[in-house]
Amino acid sequence: MSVIGERVPRSDGRAKASGEAEYGVDHAEPDMIWGALVRSPVSSGRITRLDTAPALAMPGVHAVVTAADAPDTRAGWVLRDQRLFAADRVLYEGQPVAAVAADTLELAREAAAAVVLEIEPLPAVVDLDAALRPDAPLVHPDWESYVPALGPDADYPRHGNLAAESVSDPPGVDDAFARAHRVVTDEFVVQRQYQAYIEPKSAVGIYRDGRFTVHTAHQFPYNVRDRVSQFLDVRPSAVRIVGHTIGGGFGAKLDAALEPYAALLSKAARGRAVKLVNTRTEDLITCPSREGAITRVRSALDEDGTIIARELEVIADNGAYSGEMPWLASIALHCARGVYRAGPTRVTARLVYTNTAPTGAFRGVNGTYLYHAVERHMDHIAAELGVDRREYRLRHLFDDGEELLNGQVLTDAGILREGFEAIEAAAPWAKLEAERRPYRGIGIAAAWWLTNPMPGTAVVKLHEDGTAAVITAATDNGSGAVSMGVTQIVAERLGIPPSDVFVTLPDTDVAGFDAGSQGSRTTRIVGKASQIAADEVITKLKDVAAGLLEAAADDLEVADGTVRVKGAPGTSVPIAVVAATATNTVGPIQGTGSFVTPFPDFNPGCATGLMLPSFPTPTYHVHLAEVEVDPVTGTVQVLRYLVAQEVGAVISPDGTYGQVMGGVTQGIGYALHESLRIGEDGRYRERTLESYRLPLAGDVPRVEFFPLEHPDPDGPHGAKGVGEGPILLPAAVIANAVSDAIGRPLNNIPITPEEVLAALQTAELRNDEEHVR
Amino acid sequence: MELSTADSVDEALDELSRRGERCRVLAGGTDVMIQLARREIAPEHLLHVERLGELRAVETDGSTRLGALVTHRDLAVGRLGPGYAAVAESAATVGGLQTQVVGTIGGNVCNASPAADTLPALLVHDAEVTLRSVRGSRTVPLAEFVVGRRVTTRAPDELLTTITLGRPAPRTGDVYLKVGRRSAMEVAIVGLAARLTFDGTGVVTDARIAVASVGPRPLRSVGAETALVGGTGDAESVHAAAKALLQDVDPIDDVRGTADYRRRVIPGLLGRAVRVCAQRAEG
Ligand SMILES: Cc1cc2nc3c(=O)[nH]c(=O)nc-3n(C[C@H](O)[C@H](O)[C@H](O)COP(=O)(O)OP(=O)(O)OC[C@H]3O[C@@H](n4cnc5c(N)ncnc54)[C@H](O)[C@@H]3O)c2cc1C
Repeated sequence: MSVIGERVPRSDGRAKASGEAEYGVDHAEPDMIWGALVRSPVSSGRITRLDTAPALAMPGVHAVVTAADAPDTRAGWVLRDQRLFAADRVLYEGQPVAAVAADTLELAREAAAAVVLEIEPLPAVVDLDAALRPDAPLVHPDWESYVPALGPDADYPRHGNLAAESVSDPPGVDDAFARAHRVVTDEFVVQRQYQAYIEPKSAVGIYRDGRFTVHTAHQFPYNVRDRVSQFLDVRPSAVRIVGHTIGGGFGAKLDAALEPYAALLSKAARGRAVKLVNTRTEDLITCPSREGAITRVRSALDEDGTIIARELEVIADNGAYSGEMPWLASIALHCARGVYRAGPTRVTARLVYTNTAPTGAFRGVNGTYLYHAVERHMDHIAAELGVDRREYRLRHLFDDGEELLNGQVLTDAGILREGFEAIEAAAPWAKLEAERRPYRGIGIAAAWWLTNPMPGTAVVKLHEDGTAAVITAATDNGSGAVSMGVTQIVAERLGIPPSDVFVTLPDTDVAGFDAGSQGSRTTRIVGKASQIAADEVITKLKDVAAGLLEAAADDLEVADGTVRVKGAPGTSVPIAVVAATATNTVGPIQGTGSFVTPFPDFNPGCATGLMLPSFPTPTYHVHLAEVEVDPVTGTVQVLRYLVAQEVGAVISPDGTYGQVMGGVTQGIGYALHESLRIGEDGRYRERTLESYRLPLAGDVPRVEFFPLEHPDPDGPHGAKGVGEGPILLPAAVIANAVSDAIGRPLNNIPITPEEVLAALQTAELRNDEEHVR
Repeated sequence: MELSTADSVDEALDELSRRGERCRVLAGGTDVMIQLARREIAPEHLLHVERLGELRAVETDGSTRLGALVTHRDLAVGRLGPGYAAVAESAATVGGLQTQVVGTIGGNVCNASPAADTLPALLVHDAEVTLRSVRGSRTVPLAEFVVGRRVTTRAPDELLTTITLGRPAPRTGDVYLKVGRRSAMEVAIVGLAARLTFDGTGVVTDARIAVASVGPRPLRSVGAETALVGGTGDAESVHAAAKALLQDVDPIDDVRGTADYRRRVIPGLLGRAVRVCAQRAEG
């Protein structure tokens, strides 16, 4: 019986529910001591005094380190623009200036507070438009000297406060605007979003035998290894990262955070294991949150209302250091038209340094606000033309063979129309429109997205009892990609129950490179690598079984826990027997597999700064929401939420639905509840989970989900990515639905009760006045 | 910091009289523990009173009297019986279930937060609080007990023991409405309680309106009440009442909401409260 597409218990479920699971934050080592960071209280300034003596003098304090104790080097995922500790200037609130290690956590925090830090404040660069003005102070006066992580040849367009730029300027845009019958213009502003995982960041560092070991719950252990190696100026193999169960990450645990500090502190404390753990406020204010952005869109329409050209400019907040962000800037090119034909399109993406916490990856990177902009803009155009919003979308919708702005061809974009139809069958648009009640509104939107192609590898090792171990650096960040997906795929191949497959936690000394839990990649990439590894195991099993069964290897199959003769299932031998025999004859059985998806063909000349050139393994998404606005309070309740999503193939129904429900929930929070404002001083206003409000169960309807399955020939059992897509569109459809409900455009995310109520009351006032006249 | 548990009210009063200001009463601890963690308070002694069973009693024969240790959960499930919907509704919005099963009404009153949810509901029911000390006992209207942001007239040796509510007249309806950005677990951006009594023809004969989170302390608006009496809950009287109410409040911008929003929300909220009261008065 196949276990693909079946509901199977997740392998980590029992341990997580019972409390046995050891999360990173639970990890302890013998003789462990505790660390704490001294962080800058201001967002921009010059350090005038840093005195560690009072902390060092405290009994129980083992070490205090500052920039003077760290290698004089800069590190970074894409650009090496970051020092471990601020040396002379601080560039964001929360930036580490020193670190201490002491007997207890409390003592470490007291010692950190005893470090004397005086900072002369400097003007903070916060406003994105202002940051780009010629007279703006530079966040990095030395920007020119910075070198990309891959070396000087990998440099890309950047200048001053412009941390990265990607521009695509195809011919015909200006002509089209010149002959346009009508031009529709919009501006959209979105805030940051905090990943708000339950487990705050932590790390345990151990310096021993000249090597650094760091225990951490991380989405991308190999990236941590590289970052620690850069910061501490040792070769990558001198660093070992040991992964633990993760209490959520959503992209915020893709780059190193506390790990290099824990490693350096352990060295300073003569090899004692040192543990660092963020308080919730530290975690929130220093987290690489989703970037705030301003998106400006202009479309040229002909007399039929058809879009004949577009211009889209996005200015995104990089924060004080670049992290992964420059790599993501070109996503604007891939999303500038959404999934609708819009003629030649000029796309400018600018990433801007500011004196704020560095931003970073968050599920659906860049896509959430780009789709919000494009889909709000589509509603605006339809309203200007007085045509039906859904109809207008269908008129421009991509079809099979659509060639994109980067030259990539979407052979299967016709799936989008299936998505619209699946939603239509469950929630007929005309019926929803006809049954409209006051203060209720509907919104619809669509998107396409990638499955991250980056490499993964796995070893499948057969135990003599017939069970299998999968050794991989892949991580299950909670999605079930490993605890169900990879587990099911290996079980299926080997014909053994999922409960007989054990997947290791990542350890960079043990498992090969894996590009981490990002971009919906794990089930597909690591699943495929594991499948290849399992196939090698199968070949070896058959060879050994051939001798036992006195049959040709080619006539054998592996199924139901046995190796058996095809067509004669009675002639079989249990896998355990074959494995044990192999161990003593040809040697233990194991197989290795690696996989990476190639980037689809694209036109390299289509844009400058094209760092993420095309979208591999595309998936397609259509969402619909119905909302109700409370006219008294301006709060919004999402009444109904529908998702039609191309998933390749459903490996795990629970995992797939969990991702859809979770992504939509996070998207609803982004759209309506989660406020993460930055004051003029560059400091966050929301600083705890009391004021940073996540949506609750009562704020989210049960998502109606329609999986669309078009198995991908390269994916394991046809699987494509699932996890990110669901968060791309909630902001778009909810903004459209709320604007529909109140009859006025709302173009900012989050949509606040303040804004809604003010819009309603202004509208009422206007109606009253018209009434009087 | 020391912790002791009182086994009787007299023992608690003795402790309080001996230690005075250095001692902090600990009921459910849902405020105290957080204030300790934030280092907002640093008492030498915590006096745990949660075991005083007699302070958990609810009496509904004659006047309605509830002990200071009655929990929000007790109230939310309706232990006060019909006529006190506002109290039940306000208690049901205090944090989540975990907060409600330990958080007490007495703690909510003595903490005297500007956003305390039960306070407007207690105010519209003419609540009086009884405080005891070794020196004796006194009973004062709630409005005179909570005098400012986190300020009460409690003397350091006093224990809040009982809250007494007025008895709602026939044809009375009451309600508590809370404004937050999400459906639960919110500190009120605005909280509004109303209690209206109608005559046989639908005319308001008696009104109580109280609000939270729009000034340093929750308060009643006599102006709004006066404007409603004599009307039928019609748009005009609600409009006048809202105008009066807006004059009595002094909202600020804070991380939860702006003063402007709080002002914008009040008239509609009052209108909604009046409608609910009218419905409930009929039922
Ligand atoms: C997660 C969370 C959410 C919350 N949400 C809300 C909310 O939505 N709305 C709201 O109004 N509150 C909220 N609160 C605050 C709190 O739950 C309430 O104020 C609660 O009623 C306090 O009661 P307690 O028994 O826990 O008080 P404690 O914390 O024990 O005491 C509070 C104060 O009252 C004093 N005190 C207590 N009892 C007596 C007494 N009998 N005599 C004299 N002094 C006394 C204490 O010394 C202390 O100063 C929330 C708290 C938490 C932790």
